Amino acid sequence: MDNRPVRRKRTGAARHLLLAAAFLACSSQLLVVDANSWWSLALTPIQRPEMYIIGAQPLCSQLSGLSQGQRKLCQLYQDHMIYIGDGAKTGIKECQYQFRQRRWNCSTVDNTSVFGRVMQIGSRETAFTYAISAAGVVNAISRACREGELSTCGCSRAARPRDLPRDWLWGGCGDNVHYGYRFAREFVDAREREKNYPRGSPEHARTLMNVQNNEAGRQAVYNLANVACKCHGVSGSCSLKTCWLQLADFRRVGEFLKEKYDSAAAMRIGRKGKLELVDKRFNTPTLEDLVYIDPSPDYCLRNETTGSLGTQGRLCNKTSEGMDGCELMCCGRGYDQFKTYKHERCHCKFHWCCYVKCKRCTTLVDQFVCK
Amino acid sequence: MAGAIIENMSTKKLVIVGVILLLFQAFAFMVGGLIAPSPTTAVHYLATKCVDTIKHREETKWFMPWGPDQCDKIRTFDEAMAKKIEANNIVFAVHIPLPNKEMSPWFQFMLVILQFDIAFKMYNQIEDGALVTIDVGLAYRDDTVSEWTEMAHSFEQRKLSCNFTTAKTFENEGRYYECDLMPFMEVGSVAHKYYLLNIRLPVNERKKVNVGIGEIKDIRFVGIHQNGGFTKVWFAMKTFLTPSILIIMIWYWRRITLMSRPPVLLEKVIFALGISMTFINIPVEWFSIGFNWTWMLLFGDIRQGIFYSMLLSFWIIFCGEHLMDQTERNRFSVYWKQVGPIVFGSFCLFIFDMCERGVQLTNPFYSIWASDVGTELAMAFIIVAGICACLYFLFLCFMVFQVFRNISGKRTSLPAMSKARRLHYEGLIFRFKFLMLVTLTCAAMTVIFFIISQVNEGHWHWGDHTVQVNSAFFTGIYGMWNLYVFAIMFLYAPSHKRYGDEQSSGQCITGDAGANSGEDIQLTTTITHVDGPTEIYKMTGKEAQE
Repeated sequence: MDNRPVRRKRTGAARHLLLAAAFLACSSQLLVVDANSWWSLALTPIQRPEMYIIGAQPLCSQLSGLSQGQRKLCQLYQDHMIYIGDGAKTGIKECQYQFRQRRWNCSTVDNTSVFGRVMQIGSRETAFTYAISAAGVVNAISRACREGELSTCGCSRAARPRDLPRDWLWGGCGDNVHYGYRFAREFVDAREREKNYPRGSPEHARTLMNVQNNEAGRQAVYNLANVACKCHGVSGSCSLKTCWLQLADFRRVGEFLKEKYDSAAAMRIGRKGKLELVDKRFNTPTLEDLVYIDPSPDYCLRNETTGSLGTQGRLCNKTSEGMDGCELMCCGRGYDQFKTYKHERCHCKFHWCCYVKCKRCTTLVDQFVCK
Repeated sequence: MAGAIIENMSTKKLVIVGVILLLFQAFAFMVGGLIAPSPTTAVHYLATKCVDTIKHREETKWFMPWGPDQCDKIRTFDEAMAKKIEANNIVFAVHIPLPNKEMSPWFQFMLVILQFDIAFKMYNQIEDGALVTIDVGLAYRDDTVSEWTEMAHSFEQRKLSCNFTTAKTFENEGRYYECDLMPFMEVGSVAHKYYLLNIRLPVNERKKVNVGIGEIKDIRFVGIHQNGGFTKVWFAMKTFLTPSILIIMIWYWRRITLMSRPPVLLEKVIFALGISMTFINIPVEWFSIGFNWTWMLLFGDIRQGIFYSMLLSFWIIFCGEHLMDQTERNRFSVYWKQVGPIVFGSFCLFIFDMCERGVQLTNPFYSIWASDVGTELAMAFIIVAGICACLYFLFLCFMVFQVFRNISGKRTSLPAMSKARRLHYEGLIFRFKFLMLVTLTCAAMTVIFFIISQVNEGHWHWGDHTVQVNSAFFTGIYGMWNLYVFAIMFLYAPSHKRYGDEQSSGQCITGDAGANSGEDIQLTTTITHVDGPTEIYKMTGKEAQE
């Protein structure tokens, strides 16, 4: 990783402080307020809201990981929850794809905190995770809009279903990407908005960082959506033209945010209670940029305090020079080699849906695993 | 057309008329920009994948994507693969509009665009020139409980033009191709509340139907319709403009018939322009609210076509009648060379429109662009029409150039002329220059606004207000051409100040540009002081009477 020297130093310090940290574990548990997150919606299956039409409460109170404000939104927009879960899932999947060759590979730990304790450190990786999951929600809500699954879709200036038919007749309903963006902002940022830390405190800094990264994720989806137009004037001329936003492939969003991850800005809390650059020579981050306030922990070794899982047991590529190469991935600890049979489908014949006829090809491959 | 109102009006009155017209113009823009919503709305739909479990059916069953009585759905095709469902049993269902909303006749038209989400797979790529065969049915109903009634059913073919932007490697499997939008359906009236589309992609390996089209993951639709609010504003505008133009037209024609000479060509052309404007204005669209008239879209195109060709013809004839080159024109046949391209070009566009929207009256899924032959034919029509337009503009520019050359020629010889003849020419020059200026302004406004509406995203925020640029474009430009026609009919009508000297004017200025050199002798007047064309004309009139 790019800031390796820094981390090395920290690891040394961490070892010395291991004992102290163990004692502090209890108090740190108190310090960190949100051990669990709305990301858990991605992992816990959400029942279809139709089942809860009579009693509105059960669904929202059953879901763990929602903050006060999010629970309120959940009660108002019950039908959205399943898609928020979908969105979080897409985000996590994309995160795992983008980081499949890194020491930290975005793996989920448990059902409540999802990524474990690493997320309590305001690192680059945390920044990326917040951004991609917010992006996932925009994507999923927009998609659900198109499927006609959401009752308030597109017409959500306020919750006023009584006026809806009239608005719809008069000027149609707004764009669903826009709706997805706004709903995601309400929902994802609700957690950060309801916290009230003293200005300039580390918690406040973290809140600002989260808000910035969430916004960056949403902006990525919104800005990568391209405008498609159709001309339909007299004889199909362009005197009448209608345009709409079209969502980009989520992989592109992932790649875009990965670039932002690589160029993320290190920040610290300023005297005015705002985030400011650690190194003033760089450009001030825009709304689309990711920011972080803490250096990344060492992801080489398993560490209960930081929540790092370590790279032991990870597959690596012997020939690669990059991050997925065994040298870097295993942090110099060396690797084991095995031979396994790899089953693959080959010589396939497809029809567009539902019909595939394949042969099964088996190859013997060498695999390398970090010690 | 001797002694039009514009020449006889005092400058003050002319300015007043101009200001009033400008106020109306500003009002027309504001109506569109501030009151009306954007002209059209695009609504996205994602087709729901329903499973048709019954093997042999007698009657067509309709599949609902949501609500009560919804179909058995699958979310992904992996699910279908596991359940051993065949391609022919998958029905893509789309309900228009989205839940809790209903369509309305105020939406005027509905067109639907189709887009495939096709995932890239190394072993299942899209073949070159792949064709998708779509078995599509459209049904409607007017309440949420009754049965669906079939409206149209068709087998359509669409060409897939997709490209994959990144490298075709195993790494990138699962990413989507970027596919072009495909025109799918166009309905000329929205008479029903609910519409349902059921689409199948039948596979037949022997006949090579839907083979090699890649792994289709989803079918997306974009439904475009006019906004009800815009329709209302538009209708209101038409209803207001019709009587205005009609009244001025009647007034104009009455003036002409009051004269003892028969109307000249230019007067007839102006009248025809008024008729075509009224034809466009008459708000027959009101009927589309009560009746299911699908041909309204086509009819609107024809009306616009007639008006535009009339406007273009008018410009040519106006220039021709102001050429001042001593040739007798005043006949329509003189202008066949210039009007010919207009007629031919608009005829080409008419044929093209009939091929597209005409056929859509019977089959809403038809698109001339879907087949290769159709595309070539359509392109041929459009290119021919484009050539005609170029030809026309060459003629027009040449004529305008000629007029200006003659004007400068006349300028030098003006002082040497007799008074009445000079006044006649000055009047001609003034009339021509005035119309030239107004026309150029109108055309420039149209072009500028067109570009703004094309470049812009459709609305501007101005404090709390949102200005709908596209709506302002439509109402403003429509209002502008109405005012243009209105102004021409008003200002170029024969002036009543010359009723008395009908004989003398008949003698001195027969027709428009028919000032023969021989008439010079008859035009001997004895005016000693002159101040501006307005006064001059009054005086010549008086003088001639004596």
